[in-house]
Amino acid sequence: MVSDHVSIKSVLNLEEKMFDFDLTSPLMAGQFLLLVILLNAIFYKPLTKVLEDRNDYILTKEQDGRERLAKAEALAQQYEEQLAGARKQSVEVIANAQTEAKKIADEQIAAAQKEAIAQREQATKEIESQKQAAMQALEQQVETLSSQILAKLGLVT
Amino acid sequence: MEILDSLRVLNYFPLAELEVGQHFYWEIGNFTIHGQVFLTSWFVIALLVVASLAATRNVQKVPRGIQNVMEYALEFIRDLAKNQLGEKEYRPWVPFIGTLFLFIFVSNWSGALLPWKLIHLPEGELAAPTNDINTTVALALLTSLAYFYAGFKKKGLGYFAKYIEPTPVLLPIAILEDFTKPLSLSFRLFGNILADELVVGVLVLLVPLFVPLPVMALGLFTSAIQALVFATLAGAYIHEALEGHGEEGHE
Repeated sequence: MVSDHVSIKSVLNLEEKMFDFDLTSPLMAGQFLLLVILLNAIFYKPLTKVLEDRNDYILTKEQDGRERLAKAEALAQQYEEQLAGARKQSVEVIANAQTEAKKIADEQIAAAQKEAIAQREQATKEIESQKQAAMQALEQQVETLSSQILAKLGLVT
Repeated sequence: MEILDSLRVLNYFPLAELEVGQHFYWEIGNFTIHGQVFLTSWFVIALLVVASLAATRNVQKVPRGIQNVMEYALEFIRDLAKNQLGEKEYRPWVPFIGTLFLFIFVSNWSGALLPWKLIHLPEGELAAPTNDINTTVALALLTSLAYFYAGFKKKGLGYFAKYIEPTPVLLPIAILEDFTKPLSLSFRLFGNILADELVVGVLVLLVPLFVPLPVMALGLFTSAIQALVFATLAGAYIHEALEGHGEEGHE
């Protein structure tokens, strides 16, 4: 569409037509307002709601998580305290048991020693008594023997 | 006359193929509308609606695919509005400012990326809706209405107090501002997009290979920036109307 013979008039006309205002303007404005309303209904409102819901969701989740973390930390501390208590208790129990065991062992050792001493004494006594009995028997035998000897010798009247 | 002569000389080159200022007219009653603008704007609107529906059709807690993209867009828009309007006021204005951004952005990029010109119209050609002054003026006037609405809703007739604060001497300038704001908004967008398309068009006509590519990339960048600028300025104007001149200190 090469126009070789553009007259001055048509150039002027072109200027005029570039700024050619007509019903396009108001119709475009009305159309644009309708677009605003339409997009508000199908774009801005629903997606804004989505964004805000997600924000709320993230916030509540974050808070929830923080609460849970705090709870978990409190529990962990509690358990640690319990653990420390239990450890202390166990040390105590062990110490108690050890002292008790020692006591018992000491008692038993003492009793055993006592018994041993008693048995030894008894044994000594028995030996003594048997020795005495043996001595007596021996003496009797010696007497009978000596009397027999005397009789044999005729010394006895 | 000399300038016009030079324009005439310019027109001996095949620049006319760019078809600036030619429109595919539709008639409604006694009025005409630019059909090519509406065709592409419907495409843009359809794209936005389809993307929105696809994003919200099956909403997941962990976003994927199109939902993720659209959520990113929404967060971007929300941040933009929040930066301009502040934490307290931004919520009701997100749809307006966001739609401004999305519509302009998608329009600009569709103009820069899609080969609209392959579809032949009886007159004029398909291009970004934002390269028609009617579109940008419509958007700019809506922005003006939006900040007036914001001001009146917040302060009632007390909104007019901002015109004589801090001093009534500045009244003419304050009134002038209400005209320059939509004017600058609409012309900035219109000029940038049209100029970009013209530059790309001229370069393509002169050197049809490779050379226009950096300019096209620059065009994409400009298009995105213009959408951002428009939305940001709209937010700033609304914020200004909400805050007023004298009250910035004690919010």
